[in-house]
Amino acid sequence: MIEARGLTKVFRRADKPPGLAASVRHLVRPRYAEHTAVAGIDLSIGAGEAVAYVGPNGAGKSTTVKMLTGIVHPTAGEIRVCGLDPHRNRHANARNIGVLFGQRTQLWWDLPVRDSLALLRDIYRIPERRYRARLDELEPVLGLAGLLPVLARKLSLGQRMRADLAAALLHDPRVVYLDEPTIGLDVTARDAMRGFLRDLRRTGTTLMITTHDLGDIEEVCDRIVILDAGRIIYDGPVTAIKDRLARDRAVHFTLADACPGVDLSTDLPGSRTVAGEDERRVSVVFDRFVHGAGDVLAAMARHARVVDLSIDEPSIDDVVRRVYAGAIGDALPDRVR
Amino acid sequence: MRAHHRTLTRLAWGTVLAYRADFVLQLLGVAVQTVAVIAVWRVVTAGGTGSAAGLTWDQLKAYLLIAFATGTLMSGFTDWQLAERVLSGNVALELVKPVDYQLARFAEALGYVAGEVVVVLAMGTVLLVAFGGVPVPGGAQAVLFLISLLAVIPLKFGLIYLSGMACFWTESYYGVGVARVAVTNILSGALVPIALYPDWLQALCRLSPFPGIVSTPALVFLGEVGVAEAVRLIAWQFVWIAVLWLGARTVWRLAVTRFSAHGG
Ligand SMILES: Nc1ncnc2c1ncn2[C@@H]1O[C@H](COP(=O)(O)OP(=O)(O)OP(=O)(O)O)[C@@H](O)[C@H]1O
Ligand SMILES: [Mg+2]
Repeated sequence: MIEARGLTKVFRRADKPPGLAASVRHLVRPRYAEHTAVAGIDLSIGAGEAVAYVGPNGAGKSTTVKMLTGIVHPTAGEIRVCGLDPHRNRHANARNIGVLFGQRTQLWWDLPVRDSLALLRDIYRIPERRYRARLDELEPVLGLAGLLPVLARKLSLGQRMRADLAAALLHDPRVVYLDEPTIGLDVTARDAMRGFLRDLRRTGTTLMITTHDLGDIEEVCDRIVILDAGRIIYDGPVTAIKDRLARDRAVHFTLADACPGVDLSTDLPGSRTVAGEDERRVSVVFDRFVHGAGDVLAAMARHARVVDLSIDEPSIDDVVRRVYAGAIGDALPDRVR
Repeated sequence: MRAHHRTLTRLAWGTVLAYRADFVLQLLGVAVQTVAVIAVWRVVTAGGTGSAAGLTWDQLKAYLLIAFATGTLMSGFTDWQLAERVLSGNVALELVKPVDYQLARFAEALGYVAGEVVVVLAMGTVLLVAFGGVPVPGGAQAVLFLISLLAVIPLKFGLIYLSGMACFWTESYYGVGVARVAVTNILSGALVPIALYPDWLQALCRLSPFPGIVSTPALVFLGEVGVAEAVRLIAWQFVWIAVLWLGARTVWRLAVTRFSAHGG
């Protein structure tokens, strides 16, 4: 569906020092500083895949999406989306794709949402019957009916995002790019959005989601591409990177009696025992591929009477934090590009 | 026109309705300006008994009314709106739609024109009542006038669209907008009939597209030009419509190339 080879974008930034004299000099002979936003990435996304595209601020995520959608022309490299060059065949490509930039809206600000959707219906030449059916499909997840008669500028952020998502998906695109689709949404709205994206995947739509929200990744995507300073530093299944980088699981115990100095590191080699908020609480952090939670419980029971416990699973948060911190170099030498 | 063009026109008309108070106030401003200019010419023509620039008071009044009408048509579609789309980066959203940008903007502009026609009819009536009637042309002259008036719409569109697109390069709009309004006001004959200008300026005007948006329909309305000359002036309007429309297409292509090279 999406094929990118050696994709590169170098932006030219005016290198204008402050001061009037310098400004005049810039007018006469402008000088530019080059900035590589995307540095030769290869990407191959198959039909029906849901890919999370993550990376720190300024990593080049939005720039990649702009190139894949045909808005920005790559400095070097090749792109094919559904067999088309998205920049050269911008209009043909536009029929295949749906795009949502969470920070922008394509709704007509002063008009009811219904009008904006009607315009898209006509742009994509969706027959009236198909249009109605599509609205009905989107209704239960996006709660559109309540939004249709409302002026776009009167919508709350979450409502606006739902309406914009409907606008991006109205023509049933085969490939959907979402740049920060859950930005600013509250917990309920975010859950609804993720549920919707999962459903969307089930229909065979190819999804590429740019996000800083790690919940989006775990709940919606099974493949994650991590970008840093314009380069892909990881591309693979979400579970695989979790297994490699997020091995630590924690069991938090509440004990019947104060038990200062308890330490399981001899019972469970490689584990760490951490004192909790008070003397009756203690946590054990261990490699989940070395020990099971049952072993930890049994070991603890040998030292103290356990009243209660809870388990923290490793989250993608930890993974991404460690990747950004540079852990990936040692952990995944085979994956480093 | 395809279905989505009609819908664009309808939506633009919808925003006119949403901002009707603003819209009417703004055009009221133009009307007041027209009243002021008419009053000045009344003094110049010695209280409406003499003549100026070879035009009688009644003719001058008609000229200024037409100038008001042509000034109002296609004034809701502004270079500012175009520039805003570019400067905010929202134009990127248009680039991912299978839409002819220029045609889409024209369809939108027609929605505003619908509102402006209403205003022209209302304000025009008020002005006529306030300053007295004007001689109305008939027959071939009337038909030619209507054609030249209609031509004002795509002609002005081309000028505004092109100047709005300048911000792809200038990255700010203010200067371009002010320059366009100044040049348009002078060269179109909106404030002063072109016949009053020195010869060299008249010659410059005649070559430019600007008289086509005020002077041409006004002169045809007044019968200041014969049928042959009227046809020639109208043909000149259409030449410029074509030049600007096609030129704008080229400029748009260059603008998109630049936009996709430098940003988004
Ligand atoms: N039009 C432009 N001109 C010059 N530099 C740009 C332009 N657009 C982006 N950049 C630069 O390219 C780099 C990548 O930007 P991009 O918007 O792709 O980052 P991102 O990964 O989407 O970040 P964020 O998480 O903050 O959205 C940044 O350093 C940015 O300053
Ligand atoms: Mg971004």
